[in-house]
Order: sequence, then structure tokens, then C-alpha cells
Amino acid sequence: MGTLIDELLSFSRLSRKEKVREIFSMDKLVRECFNEVAEAYAIEPAKVDIGNMPVVYGDPKLLRQVWINLIGNAVKYQENEQNICISVGACRDEQKNQIVFWIKDNGVGFNMKYSDKLFGVFQRLHSEDEFEGTGIGLALVRRIVNRHGGDVWAESKIGEGSTFYFSLPDKQKGIDYGE
Amino acid sequence: MANKKVEILLCEDNKRDADLTMRALKRQKLANSMVWVKDGEEALNYIFGEGEYKNRSVKDAPRVILLDIKMPKVNGMEVLQKVRSHPDTKHIPVVMMTSSQEEKDIMKSYDLGANSYIVKPVDFNKFMDSVSDVGFYWLLLNKPPNIS
Repeated sequence: MGTLIDELLSFSRLSRKEKVREIFSMDKLVRECFNEVAEAYAIEPAKVDIGNMPVVYGDPKLLRQVWINLIGNAVKYQENEQNICISVGACRDEQKNQIVFWIKDNGVGFNMKYSDKLFGVFQRLHSEDEFEGTGIGLALVRRIVNRHGGDVWAESKIGEGSTFYFSLPDKQKGIDYGE
Repeated sequence: MANKKVEILLCEDNKRDADLTMRALKRQKLANSMVWVKDGEEALNYIFGEGEYKNRSVKDAPRVILLDIKMPKVNGMEVLQKVRSHPDTKHIPVVMMTSSQEEKDIMKSYDLGANSYIVKPVDFNKFMDSVSDVGFYWLLLNKPPNIS
């Protein structure tokens, strides 16, 4: 959301930002982000499902940006504004010691052959005429998640919606963010 | 049904820029046969006769390709790279027409084998003049190779 310049500034400031770590409720953050997006786009999704969310250790301001972008995309890339269905959830991956968050929409979807381009800066899979966008949102998501020591990926089928995933390390102490 | 020879393949994702380009070329009566594609994927399908353009032959090459760099799905550099790597298409004149003045984009375009690099003027009249000049040069003055 926001202008190209605002988004570029957010993106470039990221590396200069001091690392903040705190324990906070992902559930509360996600709900706030849904409200913010609904207000900004003046669109109320028909159905929103928020699964159990764990308490998380990370930077709430940055992770807010992640959710705003992901939820914003879920609302934006839709053919039918009247029937937007979004579900959000999380699960623990004990083996990899991480929590995987996901957001699934029933929007236009994308061609998986371009999935490696999705998170690139200025990379888009649609023209401005089809859907408004700058091509920075997902690049910002990836950068923020990587800074937390996590990863991002997505699955989709054209016309059948998309699911975006990101992981965060499941530790409360001694996380080496490294960059 | 005989295929009319395509003179110009315009690869441009921005509708406004595409409209202006087409108008400038039509004004000079240079666009007898022009095709507009909106992203890199469509451009490649058109050139190589695939996807929605599977009835086209790759040997039926346009006389010049006007290529934007920043396009959705597949960008101009990738299109250029693919065009230059295929024996049937590697000689097609390619003119980059982009808003980018970045030295790295210019260098990369020439490295990949672009014939020319034009920075789209912001000023409307200069834009129209540029496109007219480009069309005149590549369609009337320049002699393309005989590809068939």
C-alpha cells in the first residue's frame, strides 16, 4: 500500500533500522492488520478465518508490514470484490524449529512458473491496468522475514487463489538474526 | 489466408505509452502492420509462435521489435536474451524503448545484443517526435536482414 516512494523508503530504511525483539501476540497483530487493510481499501472480505496463532518473538512493527502487504494482496488480487475469502493460520514445525504462517485467498492466483520472481524488487505478474501495485510489497515481506531468520514462499493456481507462507524461528531466546 | 507482414512488434505494458507510440507511428504512416503485446510472456509467445499465438511461425519475423524493459512476468532483458539466442530470431532488429536511464540497463542491453537504446522522453511532444524518428529510421532508412 502507499506510493512507490513511500514503499521504496520503507524498503531501503530496513537495513538501517535497529533490531527490535519482543514477545507479542501474533493473533492480535493479524486482527489489527485485517482491520487496517479493510479500512484502507474500503473492502470488507466476505469471509475471514484466523486460526490459532502462537505468541511470537520478533519485531512487531516489521511483522505488521508483512501482514499488511500479504493481507492487502489477498484483498487486491481478486476478480469479485463481493466474495473475498481469506484464511490465515500457523503451525509449528518441530523438526526445523520454526513456526510457519500462511495466508490463503480465493483470488486470481498466479502462474507457478513465475513463483521465483514473486519476491523480487519491482517484479510484477500483472500490469498496472489490471491491478494497482509497485512491485515492492513482496520484496519487503521477504526482506523482513529473512531478517528474522525465516523464509517466504507461495503456491498458486491461476483462477484458484494463492497461499503465501512465511516461517519464523521458534525460539524465545538467543536468536541470531544475522543479515 | 496470407499473413500480412508484421512491421513492428511493440512490447509495452503501459497502455498510455503504448497508445502514444501507436499514434506517433500511425501519424507518420509508418504503422501499416503493428502488433502490441503487453508483457514479456506475450512477446515471446508472439515471436516464437506459441501459446495464444501458436498459429504464427517463428520465421515470420517482425521488421523491428520495440522493447520496453520493465514488463510484468518476463522483462525486456529476458525477451532480448531469448530472441538473440534462437537462429530464426537472432537477427531481428531490437530497439529498447524504456524509461530507464540506468547505465547498467544500457550496458546490459547492448551486452545482450540490442541494436539501439532509446530513453522515452517525459515530454509529450518529444515522445511523439522520438517515436516518429525511431519508426522512420528502422522501417525506412535501415535495411533489415532477409529472414526466411
